[in-house]
Amino acid sequence: MNNQDFIRQSTGFYTPPSRAQTIWRIIHTDPPLLVGIVLLCAFGLFVLYSASDGDQAVVQRQALIMLAGLVLMFIVSQFSPHFFRRWAPSLYGVGLALLLIVLVIGVEENGARSWLDLPGLPSFQPSETLKIVVPLLMAWYLASRPLPPRFKHLFWSAVMILIPAALIVVQNDTGTAIMVAMSGIFVVLLAGIRWRIVFAGFFALLFASPAWYLFLAQEHQKNRILTFFNPYRDPTGSGYNIIQSQIAIGSGGVYGKGFGNGAQSHLDFIPESNTDFILAVLAEEFGLLGVLFLICLYLFVLVRGFYIAYHAKDMFSRLLAGSITLTFFFYVFINMAMVSGLVPVIGLPLPLISRGGTAILTLFIGFGLLMSIQTHGRARAK
Amino acid sequence: MAGKWQLKDHEAEQRLFNRRLITAAVLIFLFFAALVVQLVYLQIYQFDYFSARSDGNRLHSQYVPPARGLIFDRNGELLADNQPIFNLTIVREQIEDLEGTLEYLSTLIRLSEDDIEQFNTRLQRNRVPFSSVPLRYVLNDEEKSRIAVNSHLLPGIAIEPQFVRQYPLADLTAHSLGYVSEINREELDSLNDEEKENYGGTNHIGKTGIERTYEDILHGTVGYEIVEKNNRGQVMRYLDRTDPVAGKNITLHMDAQLQRAAEEALGELRGAVVAIEPATGGIIAMVSKPAFDPNLFVTGISSKDYGVLVTDEVNTRLFDRTTNPYPPGSTIKPFLGLGGLHHELVDYEFAIHDPGYFRLPGVSYRWGDWTLRTRIGGGHEHTDLQKAIFQSCNTFFFDLGNRMGIDTIHSFMSQFGFGDNFAVDVSYARTGVLPSREWKMASRGEPWYPGDTINSSIGQGLMWATPLQLATAASIIANKGEVIQPRMLKAIEEQPFEPLVENAVPDVMLNDPDYWRYIEEAMTMVVHRPYSTEFRDYGSAYPEIAQKDPDMSYMLAGKSGTAQAVGISQDVLSSTDIVVSDLNKDHALFIAFAPAMNSHIAPQIALAVFVENGESGGGAAGPIAKQLTDKYLLDILQIDFEALNEVVPPEQPEVNVLVSEADE
Repeated sequence: MNNQDFIRQSTGFYTPPSRAQTIWRIIHTDPPLLVGIVLLCAFGLFVLYSASDGDQAVVQRQALIMLAGLVLMFIVSQFSPHFFRRWAPSLYGVGLALLLIVLVIGVEENGARSWLDLPGLPSFQPSETLKIVVPLLMAWYLASRPLPPRFKHLFWSAVMILIPAALIVVQNDTGTAIMVAMSGIFVVLLAGIRWRIVFAGFFALLFASPAWYLFLAQEHQKNRILTFFNPYRDPTGSGYNIIQSQIAIGSGGVYGKGFGNGAQSHLDFIPESNTDFILAVLAEEFGLLGVLFLICLYLFVLVRGFYIAYHAKDMFSRLLAGSITLTFFFYVFINMAMVSGLVPVIGLPLPLISRGGTAILTLFIGFGLLMSIQTHGRARAK
Repeated sequence: MAGKWQLKDHEAEQRLFNRRLITAAVLIFLFFAALVVQLVYLQIYQFDYFSARSDGNRLHSQYVPPARGLIFDRNGELLADNQPIFNLTIVREQIEDLEGTLEYLSTLIRLSEDDIEQFNTRLQRNRVPFSSVPLRYVLNDEEKSRIAVNSHLLPGIAIEPQFVRQYPLADLTAHSLGYVSEINREELDSLNDEEKENYGGTNHIGKTGIERTYEDILHGTVGYEIVEKNNRGQVMRYLDRTDPVAGKNITLHMDAQLQRAAEEALGELRGAVVAIEPATGGIIAMVSKPAFDPNLFVTGISSKDYGVLVTDEVNTRLFDRTTNPYPPGSTIKPFLGLGGLHHELVDYEFAIHDPGYFRLPGVSYRWGDWTLRTRIGGGHEHTDLQKAIFQSCNTFFFDLGNRMGIDTIHSFMSQFGFGDNFAVDVSYARTGVLPSREWKMASRGEPWYPGDTINSSIGQGLMWATPLQLATAASIIANKGEVIQPRMLKAIEEQPFEPLVENAVPDVMLNDPDYWRYIEEAMTMVVHRPYSTEFRDYGSAYPEIAQKDPDMSYMLAGKSGTAQAVGISQDVLSSTDIVVSDLNKDHALFIAFAPAMNSHIAPQIALAVFVENGESGGGAAGPIAKQLTDKYLLDILQIDFEALNEVVPPEQPEVNVLVSEADE
């Protein structure tokens, strides 16, 4: 377990932490990650201000949620990874219980029966928390088993991933179900599952997809697929969003039309301009350079996430940090690719830029875990 | 746990994890690279295309319709105005369920089957996508507020203000002014590209009358504006604007007061009045009764209202009687008389002995005078041309016509506009028929018979003339041969209108200009010659005009006409709810001009009055003519004839002599 420290000490790489580093260590905060997150949040608020047509209330609410997120992140980072490792199964149990409760007394919103409106608490989506709980459980489960995981471990992993995913599908929230499943699958991938199994699964899905399309897919899902291949099939209906969003992005050019000058967004041609399609607003007003800047910010956070995963003390931390980082990337990429027309439209927000509630808090819990992994490992090493 | 730990190789597992992490990092890099490629494609390679699309989304060029020129009468009274109305319009592209929306709308506002039907035809016309199509015109305040309150439930539905024509005099100017109405398919198709562009923002076009004749002047030039619209079609900003050029205001010769007086004088009768200012040819009154409310047509007449208008076969309100030909009857006698004098077939001394009928040599058929129909019978006995006119002796004119022959009649009468349309800007007026050998052969395939000439000599048979033509011909007599071409338009934007008349009609030249005076005198006798001891020696219109107003301060020259009604449709005759005998009654006509025989002032007004089935020209139409000359000379022009006579002592004793003769 102490190999790394030993190597560093013995090879002279180890330099005593500076005073500042020590302070950050004591308050369990990772400065580079924090800087990246704060920059993203600031940029996000900036874009949201324009996307919401200068609506102060929207921006203030978003800022408050981000602030709450930072506090939540700070609280989470105070606990050592081992605390989460110990409580992973229990949290998983609580998560499943909440999902079941939602099935019974959930509140429906936007077609998904995924909201829990308990008295005395702000309403929230239990399915969101599963995005953290599932990788926690998977990391807990696989870290203590020999890697690459054996077949029976893979089987149980699959069961543990699919139960919550299935419950969320029943809530009619396929997008979140996919994200929850992916957060678990990332753990399995990082845990060294054999490539041939990965490819076998990939091709199985590929071949199964026509069957899904023919027999299982709902009408709006079919529409999204058809629209992806040809948005002009129904330019004023299902193709409208993606066409208008591409017009916004394309007309932004290299330098953009300038902050607050996005005709597409300010004249309401972009639907969901505050949430899923906010990238179109950004691309229209700040151009290619603005989008590249955002990608750089994301890359900065991702690289730091990888760094933390790479340098984590134990396999649980590594798997967890890796999965959180990959899930974050997955969010970013799917949204950007969907808005620019690379993948079919899936209702996913752009992390830290889109207007949101529970989803943002979930992200901050993830960042809190990353910071916990980064700052607790060495302190505990003695 | 211990067993498991033994199986774990931490070094190898970490190496495995790190390899996976690096793989993931590479994949992330590739994914982002793909994203950047897509963005570069969209934002650099396709920038121009999407820029244009974005502008196309938000920028809309829309037409700004010009304000239609106003129409004034000669005294500046407004005859056609533009009034704002509020219309309910629909942008079809923004409505998912049209049926449902219409159904919902019908709970908020009055929406008839008709409105929906007309809306559907409008929808089917060529139109710019996302343009608004009117569904209901003229919303009232209550309907406006109901729509406004529910506007959140009604995407794609808007209330748009619009200026539309309004005719303050309504029925009074229905035929002469005409009306504007929605442009229809055929009218659009008949426009060339440039004109189509000019009508881009206009819904209405002049359909009849002045509105149609002077459409080009009244319409104006369309303007444009570039606007920025949001995705709901709401205009957010105006970016550029080319102002429309409003149509020109025009002033007509028409005198609204006289028009009103003519309408009142006709009362409940069916008929027409055309009054012309002889000096200019300006049409100062042009009334056809019964009329209709032209305002109904402006915003689309309902089929119910239209049905009423077209199925009324007796009143035929849509029908313009001022420009429709009728047999002119005896009103042509003064003209024929002039022809007789000019061609030296009669002179002032010539007279016939009228037995009450006329017989062509070798023909047993007798053409009777109107006197045959009276109880006394008999003819007019000794009859010269003046008596033939003031007593309306048919026999005299049968003889004269017979001796003139149809060719001479045709060539002489055509100088007065019979069989032709002299009007400068009443192009829709019909020409009637001034019969000739060629005309009869061409239209009926029959040769001319001498009997046809006899019928034509008293304005019956094949002869047809419109009230407009009769008024024109009367003006020419009033002008002593100077031909005037009737016109409606007096000025454009205060600038007097001087039409370039191609092939201007030459004046009527007579061998002896005194013939004009002689005929004018005869026509004055029609009105003013009182009863005397002589048998049938009074003016045929005297009992109805001069006798009833002994204090007339001016002379009225006139000629009555009573024409047999012909050509009543079988539908009308067989219908049960009409008193058919009324429709068989003769038409009454009267032509007149005044003041006549006045050395101080030339005739100011010439007119023709037509009363459908009025029976007697002198009885029914004459008094109307008198009423109108009174109105025009005394009320409108306020000519003080007594003062005139005092200031300048009469110079021509002949006039006085004649009047004194007539007084005897």
